[in-house]
Amino acid sequence: MNFDPMKIPWSLLGLFIVFCIGMFIRGFVPKITARVGKRIGIRIYQPWFDYVKNFSIQTSITHGYMFYLGPVFRLTGGIGMVLFMPLIHGSWYFSNFAFAGDMVLFLYLMFFGTLGMALGAGESGHPYSAIGVARGLAQVTVAEIPLVLAMLAVAAQHHTLSISQIVAAQQGGIAHWTMVTNPVATATGMLALLGSMMNSPFNVVLAPQEIPIGPPTEYHGTFLGILTTNRSIFPMAKIIFFMNIFFGGATNWAILILKGWLIYMWPVIVGVVFPRFRVDQSIRWFLKVPLLLGILAVALV
Amino acid sequence: MINPILIIAIALGTAFSLGLLKKLGRELSFAITLIALAAMAFISAQWLSAFLTYNMLGPVVTTAGGRAPFVIVLQMGHMEALFTLLINVMGVMGAFYLHDRLTENGNGAMAVLLAGIMGLNGIILTGDIFNLFVFLEIASIATAGLVLLVTDFKSLTAGFKYMLASGLISGLFLLGIIFLYNTTGTLNIRELLIAVPGTIKAGSVASFLVMMAILLEMKPFPANGWGIDLYSGAPAGVSALIASASATAAYFVLIKLLPLGGTVAYKIAAAVGITTFVASNLVALSQRSATKLLGYSSIGQMGLVVGIYGLNYHLGSKAFLIIFSLLGTHYLAKAGLFWLSGIVQSTEIDKWSALRKSPVLFVLFGIFVFALMGFPPFPSFFGKWELIMGLVASKLYWWAGAILLGTMFEGIYLFRWFSRALKLDNQELAKPRSTIYTFVPPLVFAILLFPAGYYTSTYTGGIGIMGFAPLLFIMLIGFLDFLPAYIKNILSIAGVAAYSWYLWPHVQGNTFKIVFAGIFMGGALLALFAGFYRRGKHLGFYPTTLLMFLGLGILVDASNLMELFYGWELMTIGSYFLLIRGERSLPHGYSYLLFSLGGSLAMMFGFGLAHASAGTIELSALNHIHVLPALAYSLMLVGFMTKTASLGFHIWLPGAHGEAVADIHFMASAVLLKAGVFGIILVLSGMGNSEPYARNILLVLGWIGALTALIGNIGAAFQESAKYLLAWSSIGQLGYIVFGLATMTHLGWLAAYGYTITHFLYKGILFLIIGGIAFRVGTADMYKMGGLIKRMPFSFLAVLISIITLAGIPPLVGFTGKWIFYNMIVSEHMFYQGLVVIISGIVAFLYLFRLIHVIFLGQLKDKNRRVKEVYPWLLIPAYAMLIGVMVLSMFPNTLLGPLGRMLSTAFPKGALHWDGYTASTAYGTFNMPIIMAVIGSTFAVVFLWLLLANRRAVKVKQFNIFYSGEAPSRPELTHFGYNFFAHYKKAVGFMAVPLVTRFWDQVSEGLHALAGYGRAIYTGNAQSYLFHIVGFVVAIYLITMGGLS
Amino acid sequence: MTHIALAGGALLILIGVWGMLTKKNIIRIIIGFSLFDTGLHVVLVGLGHLKNRTAPIIDSDLPREAAASRVVDPVPQAIVLTAIVIGLAVTAVLLAFALKLYQSRKTLDISELREGNND
Repeated sequence: MNFDPMKIPWSLLGLFIVFCIGMFIRGFVPKITARVGKRIGIRIYQPWFDYVKNFSIQTSITHGYMFYLGPVFRLTGGIGMVLFMPLIHGSWYFSNFAFAGDMVLFLYLMFFGTLGMALGAGESGHPYSAIGVARGLAQVTVAEIPLVLAMLAVAAQHHTLSISQIVAAQQGGIAHWTMVTNPVATATGMLALLGSMMNSPFNVVLAPQEIPIGPPTEYHGTFLGILTTNRSIFPMAKIIFFMNIFFGGATNWAILILKGWLIYMWPVIVGVVFPRFRVDQSIRWFLKVPLLLGILAVALV
Repeated sequence: MINPILIIAIALGTAFSLGLLKKLGRELSFAITLIALAAMAFISAQWLSAFLTYNMLGPVVTTAGGRAPFVIVLQMGHMEALFTLLINVMGVMGAFYLHDRLTENGNGAMAVLLAGIMGLNGIILTGDIFNLFVFLEIASIATAGLVLLVTDFKSLTAGFKYMLASGLISGLFLLGIIFLYNTTGTLNIRELLIAVPGTIKAGSVASFLVMMAILLEMKPFPANGWGIDLYSGAPAGVSALIASASATAAYFVLIKLLPLGGTVAYKIAAAVGITTFVASNLVALSQRSATKLLGYSSIGQMGLVVGIYGLNYHLGSKAFLIIFSLLGTHYLAKAGLFWLSGIVQSTEIDKWSALRKSPVLFVLFGIFVFALMGFPPFPSFFGKWELIMGLVASKLYWWAGAILLGTMFEGIYLFRWFSRALKLDNQELAKPRSTIYTFVPPLVFAILLFPAGYYTSTYTGGIGIMGFAPLLFIMLIGFLDFLPAYIKNILSIAGVAAYSWYLWPHVQGNTFKIVFAGIFMGGALLALFAGFYRRGKHLGFYPTTLLMFLGLGILVDASNLMELFYGWELMTIGSYFLLIRGERSLPHGYSYLLFSLGGSLAMMFGFGLAHASAGTIELSALNHIHVLPALAYSLMLVGFMTKTASLGFHIWLPGAHGEAVADIHFMASAVLLKAGVFGIILVLSGMGNSEPYARNILLVLGWIGALTALIGNIGAAFQESAKYLLAWSSIGQLGYIVFGLATMTHLGWLAAYGYTITHFLYKGILFLIIGGIAFRVGTADMYKMGGLIKRMPFSFLAVLISIITLAGIPPLVGFTGKWIFYNMIVSEHMFYQGLVVIISGIVAFLYLFRLIHVIFLGQLKDKNRRVKEVYPWLLIPAYAMLIGVMVLSMFPNTLLGPLGRMLSTAFPKGALHWDGYTASTAYGTFNMPIIMAVIGSTFAVVFLWLLLANRRAVKVKQFNIFYSGEAPSRPELTHFGYNFFAHYKKAVGFMAVPLVTRFWDQVSEGLHALAGYGRAIYTGNAQSYLFHIVGFVVAIYLITMGGLS
Repeated sequence: MTHIALAGGALLILIGVWGMLTKKNIIRIIIGFSLFDTGLHVVLVGLGHLKNRTAPIIDSDLPREAAASRVVDPVPQAIVLTAIVIGLAVTAVLLAFALKLYQSRKTLDISELREGNND
């Protein structure tokens, strides 16, 4: 498989669509949490206004070159994850650069942005940033356990690590989805998803009350604009990944939006129902049921 | 040829004349004594050289022209020549050392010394058993007389106990002689040996008594309390004479007379000797007095050679080579150590740090200790090797095991003593005073150890000239130690370059060897280059560093197991001295050495089994061992894993590496640990994975690797010191490598090789930079730093790239390793071990972020506001390695391609397939240049966008942060660095409980308790000692009657 | 006669060893050693004795030619002379030590002389 320059515009288009879906969901989710709390909530197009506002703020300060590069790392990571993800099954236009890498690339690319962001926030010298990062790292080491186990189970089941091939193997109706053929791995994966979506009970990393917004504390204006761009892309990349490996992928944009939205709702619903964990509590939680379930998943392969 | 009787005549004549010529000046008398002893030595030497040159029979000389048994019969043969030479040389040196005491005490003392040496010569030369008795008595009376050179209470009691015990023993001997004469009618030893098998049965009273007497002369456990008190009570110079000359003579008696006892006697000698060796070394563990330690060690060493003589029929033609090499080392080293003990003037081992004030003496001390422990290039190394090979080949596993155990015990106390002397504070202690008389003898003996080692090696074969020639260069560097560091650095780099030039043709065409030679020699050059940052002389650094790298070079170059082991041990010595250099490194360097020693002993046993199986020591002997294969491979793996610091053997590493300075840390971690990997690869290549035992071993090894990775990485997350953090991280990284090798798959090995090389690069960068920062800031505690990105931007960039690589984040080369692991885990279905390895990789993010954040980010401390960037001497090698990382990141196939081709011969299945830059397995694919291009261009675009949108950005000052409307006044208040992962510790802290450390502590306590228990028999009471002797005789008699005969 | 000598010698050896092992006074221990030594000498001579033979001294009563058949074995007799001399020397050295020890500690009790035990 060779590199074709025509991939570039099509990939960018796919990226833009994903961004828009992300922006929409970012307006929709606060609405739901507000309604559960018997409040009216924001308008659904509020994220777009915030976006414009962030890029138009006049004052801008920086703490140093790593601080400056942090959001760049962050967004590059998020975009990279989408660019190496096959979005629409069977479509040459929206298969992106998936041929250049597989699930392992996806998993480790996730940390590219996280690390850069953490370093940038670190240079600001604000203790809350460091505290947030320390919490996030500690939590991610255990949240990855069920994710890795689920991935290994799925890869062993389909005899491939390639996301495109896993999606291809699931075509032909719901009975072929990993959700049906390997429910334990899917359950494990969905528990892992809770840990990485920054929703309660696993959102002490950002913890709006204790450490005002965590790692991005010192970021504002344009920097924040870049970060919000990423917040619309990065979670969507993860959701599409889950859709691809557990729920049969998508053959057109409508299916992608529907499945993506449904998967997105899972952590949101859990989040509004359950209160927040402390970090050590969430670590222990991941080492119980999700771990056992994950071991069961690989044992059953 | 000079008549050997002159040896005795000269001694006697001089002794009498000294007694008569009291008026002579004492210095003159002393000179006469020395000349007499030298003449005796010359006679022996001349005979020995004659025997070595011509293959001839020695003469039998009789006194007064009569015929045996009516006259004294003297026999000179090649053994007698050698032994008398040893004794007479010791006589010259011993007398020289005792100059002050002898001149103080007058001609009588010199006469006594001469009489003693004469007695020892007589013991060896005589052909008549009663004569032997007479000479033994002369020697022991003379010894008692020499003990009286110092008439303090301690030597008086020691001498008295000695006289009582030796009186009892010689009584037994005399009784045995009488019975022998009664049954055979002759006293001539040669005739006795012929007569014995026919006329008396083994185990009969006569031969039994003689045998007991000669064994008791060797101070067997537990009937040796008098011997230990003698060694520690006598003046140092006299103890040296006893340990070297008297013990050697007594041993010769054993060689001469043991055949009288028949085969039973050999069995008893073997059992008694080895028991003595193990027991005295065990008992010595809880001993803190230097002279006592030397006593125990002497008795143990003599026990060992006695045991070997008992076993000599199993050792074949090598038996005497083994005996001479061990006896010779003991002779030189023990005399040297006793002499040094006289100079130090303190029996407490902790006071020996005073010896450091005389560096030359201290070097001698080190030479003696390492020679005693059987390290190369000393003769005992070859002796122990041949001994274990011989014993194992004869299936005497328990004997070999016991000897190795005893050696381990000996190592524990000798190295404790040496390490403490090397490190303990000596400010308060006076410089030990040595005169020309006390200085020359130990110097001569230490120097002699080297040619002796070379000479021994020519008899064993195995080690080529390149095992020794570079040592001369290292010695030269040692002599030039007074020069400034940079000159020695240039010389050392030239030396390493020359050695690399020599090594290249030997490794050319062998990818496996090229990889390791590259790491070892490349590491040497980079580390030495970094060494230019040092000021001053840097005493002792260069010889030991070069020794380590020479060992590593020999390891790669090795064509047989002996060379491999030789290189391994040289590397151990060198690295020990490097690791113990740190300020608080005493316990860590010591435990490093103990683990290394234990590992090498285990390895030696394993090599013995390989040799027994293949009948050769070529490296091919490692393939398909069929003598106890599971044990053989396990022992070798354990040996190598002590160096890779795998779980269970890792406790020495954090401290040893954590206290080391930048370039040493680099050598010890990025380079040295790879020696263990080299060994494991050799062993696993030989073992294969087809046999059932091999599968079990690999399963265990795989889990050890995986758990080492996890424990290492979790341990690293909780360190406050950057160096300790990196040290723990090395443990974890080596765990990956061990795991990869244990899978025995193409991909596993590919990953292991990949990690071996990349770990060298990215860890190398981290060690140099972090070490350099610690040097600049004055501490390695991370929370005392912070914000250093402002002061050290180049360091930051290097560290950033290396931690991205280490974490395995794409697009850098570390990701390749992770990717291969995933593919291997899925294709081999190694989920559980695989999970542990993958999770440890993610745990690594914890410490990596902490490392870079707490040092470089956060708040800059006031005292670091003027700190400078790391020395360019450290930055240049680091950036050289950084270029390596970037090249490998962009084109991983330049590395993985050749490695894959090499591995395909061993593991043809499941190879990585390369299609241009796309790598693929049955499961996954990746194309590094495309990944890099996509990520790189995205990064560039986003960055440009930010620049455009954000062109008005103003740089603000450090305290300008969102802080409830206040500005924090002190950076310490807002720098989050201490106990960074407190919450993590709360959740998984149980994984970081030092269980392994506790285990080894328990082992140590148990051993010391056992030692204390054993030591309780040495009450110091002469009568108990006599009782032990009687009890020993009775016990052996009962055992002999009961079973052996 | 031979048997009596041998038995007596053995008894002396045992008494001597018993004395060395049990007595507390150094002088007595040395006496024990002397007894042990003397016992050895007696056994030595006893073993060399041949029935109905005479001492190996060649003089007018014992012509040189007849010596071989009429004398006891001369070797043990020669040996015992040497052994006695050596025993004397050892005893002398022991006594010298005893004297010095007494001068240094004013005691002859052996259990007091324990310096140099393992501590």
